[in-house]
Amino acid sequence: MTQHVLEADHVSFSYSRKGPKVLNDVDLRIGKGVKTAILGANGAGKSTLFGVLNALKKPDEGRVLYQGEPISYKHRDIIRMRSEVSILFQNPNDMLFKPYVEQDVAYGPENLRLPRDEVERRVDDALFAVGMSEFRKSPTMKLSYGQRKRVTLAGVLAMKPQVLIMDEPTAGLDPQMAYEVMEIAEQLHRTGVTVIMSSHDTDLTYSWADEIHVMQHGRCVYSGAPEPFYSDKAAVYLAGLLPPKTFLMNDALSGLGASTREPFPKTQTQMSAKIAANPGGSFGTLYIHKVDADTDLNELVSEHGLGDIRTGIYGLSARRAQDRSLARVDYMYNGPENCTMNCMAGRDALLLCDPLMVDSARNSADFINASGYGDIRVEILN
Amino acid sequence: MSNIFEMRDVSFRHHPGTPTVLDHFDLEIEEGSRSAILGANGAGKTTMFYTLTGVYKPVEGEVLFRGEPLEYTREGLTRVRSDVSVVLQNPDEQMFCSLVEEDVAFGPLNLGIDRDEIEVRIDKALRDVRMSEFRTRPLQQLSGGQRKRVAIAGALAVDPKVLIMDEPTAGLDPQASMEVMELAEKLHLRGVTVLISTHDVDLAYGWADTVNVIRNGRKVFSGTSEEFYGNNEDVHLCGLLSPSTFNMNREISSLRGIPEQPCPRNVCSFLAKFGKGSHRPGRVFCVPYSEGDISSAYEEATRDAGDSARIGVYGSDARFALGGRKVDFYFDGIDSCFTEAVLGRDTVLFYDEIFGSTIREQAETLKAFGSDVVMEVVQ
Repeated sequence: MTQHVLEADHVSFSYSRKGPKVLNDVDLRIGKGVKTAILGANGAGKSTLFGVLNALKKPDEGRVLYQGEPISYKHRDIIRMRSEVSILFQNPNDMLFKPYVEQDVAYGPENLRLPRDEVERRVDDALFAVGMSEFRKSPTMKLSYGQRKRVTLAGVLAMKPQVLIMDEPTAGLDPQMAYEVMEIAEQLHRTGVTVIMSSHDTDLTYSWADEIHVMQHGRCVYSGAPEPFYSDKAAVYLAGLLPPKTFLMNDALSGLGASTREPFPKTQTQMSAKIAANPGGSFGTLYIHKVDADTDLNELVSEHGLGDIRTGIYGLSARRAQDRSLARVDYMYNGPENCTMNCMAGRDALLLCDPLMVDSARNSADFINASGYGDIRVEILN
Repeated sequence: MSNIFEMRDVSFRHHPGTPTVLDHFDLEIEEGSRSAILGANGAGKTTMFYTLTGVYKPVEGEVLFRGEPLEYTREGLTRVRSDVSVVLQNPDEQMFCSLVEEDVAFGPLNLGIDRDEIEVRIDKALRDVRMSEFRTRPLQQLSGGQRKRVAIAGALAVDPKVLIMDEPTAGLDPQASMEVMELAEKLHLRGVTVLISTHDVDLAYGWADTVNVIRNGRKVFSGTSEEFYGNNEDVHLCGLLSPSTFNMNREISSLRGIPEQPCPRNVCSFLAKFGKGSHRPGRVFCVPYSEGDISSAYEEATRDAGDSARIGVYGSDARFALGGRKVDFYFDGIDSCFTEAVLGRDTVLFYDEIFGSTIREQAETLKAFGSDVVMEVVQ
């Protein structure tokens, strides 16, 4: 049985006594460790829902449960809950409190009364994770929007929350940063954090989320796997959304009889493999080498005699190791997908991978093999 | 075609002694073109827009508007700004009034347009962005996405010759994003030069004729999307990733051993290239709409096409006229209807008359991908 980490039990909420119900009888449950996306048009109530789930707002009707217990709204309980449930607002300017980057990131952990060196370590790790280490001493005022957004993400990472709610985490970020944020979300998922995010980018959430909740005019109109929802064109239209491109293409291709509708490809690589399926062909091997933050990548690559194949990195410790050893890699972004695509084309590839991320890294190769689109050998080297 | 904007060797810094934000920047924007500006956060895109419109004055080099160097006097700048509308990324930075209708009227009032004409423009602009019902609402009661749409309405109301939009779809839901891009296309067809900066590389890929890529304050590329994304190294250095449609075409073409060209930029072309079987393509019953009642056209077209035909719409006038009638593709109607046709199914497409050439262009493109979709225009 799935445990629910957060539940909205028939929750209604208005900003003023006579105002419209921004949340109207919302009933939804978020499973522990389930990658959850909240979708909906502008003004559908997503951000308000987040406020209610994080006890920033108290419902007018209904109740919110955290770990199966109704939130009491007593000061002490709320403080405890917020040390475990962090929220990342859409607009970073709503979240920056301190004049300097490191102070801002340290603010949360300091409030948890952690020892000084633990705070230091967390600030260090969090700033690295978001690629902002070199800005540690900078005034937050001087940062660009995208940089501030990353500092606020570092701030919530430093809290080491058990539940992380992210409101439009990639809005306004350039493609590489947006990718990194999604990689961080995956990493958190693998460390056991329940990640909940809202996004207008349906392609992005489709490739990531296991479960979606769709908000429409303050109501939750759908909860479950994405495919049944996107198959209902009228419902998608009424919710102000559009189906993900991968879903549309797959649907159309199966309409042509070129393939069956299932299994549903969720990423670009899975889609390409499905269209160019080549069961009898020859395929490369996907080598996955787990690396720690202090692994010397140059040494490792030459030791295995893997210097002449395409190499990608994936996950936090691999990024750290790459940063320290300044190793040359072919794929800094989309490592697993690019390496898998090489294997589809008959070339071996090497993925230097955070130990926690191995299952995520081999996901597309496993999908391709299980669906019979190819036969990619996955070898974990250590 | 001539260049409406040009930047020659422009450098800009905010204060003496601070780093240059634009560094020997060259740019040419052809009149009537659809240009995308791409680059990482902090590359200088927004500063470039401010320099282009004379808000910032270069410390070196010059900016030309219609071939003439910008004059940094009140008259000179007014001349540029009466022709050029800018929609900023953060709508709050350009809202001065308290009510929606006042804000939309702000630009036209400043240009000295008479009150009746302004009323017409407010109506039209708010309808184009689907905000008519909010006309007399206070701006501060609107959500971020709604304020963004009001800002776009304000830009449309001045009837600009050049429209510059900085991240127009950031923070907008998918349908609203589609509408913004539809508006951009409509203005393009009216001869307006449209410049858009965006982080959404997929969106830019489907829309732009030319992409200009900025990196660390320098323009490092100007040309077609395919030329740029073809070089992985450059894409990587510029903080970008290639569009998924581009990547998939590359991957599948290579796996199947077929040429990468032509490159599909949208779903229907992609399917025409990779999904077509032996069947005949379907027909697209095209119904241009300009004004008046759409009922008889709707009935005729849907009767001709048959009950199973899916119905799509493109353009705010046609969408408004269709009201509550049955429509399958309210957004992205062109791509959706042509996708249906590629799949061998008949379909009906209602559109604002002005989009006729966009639709013919789409049919031509599909021919290049080997799908001979039949267009039947219903008058």
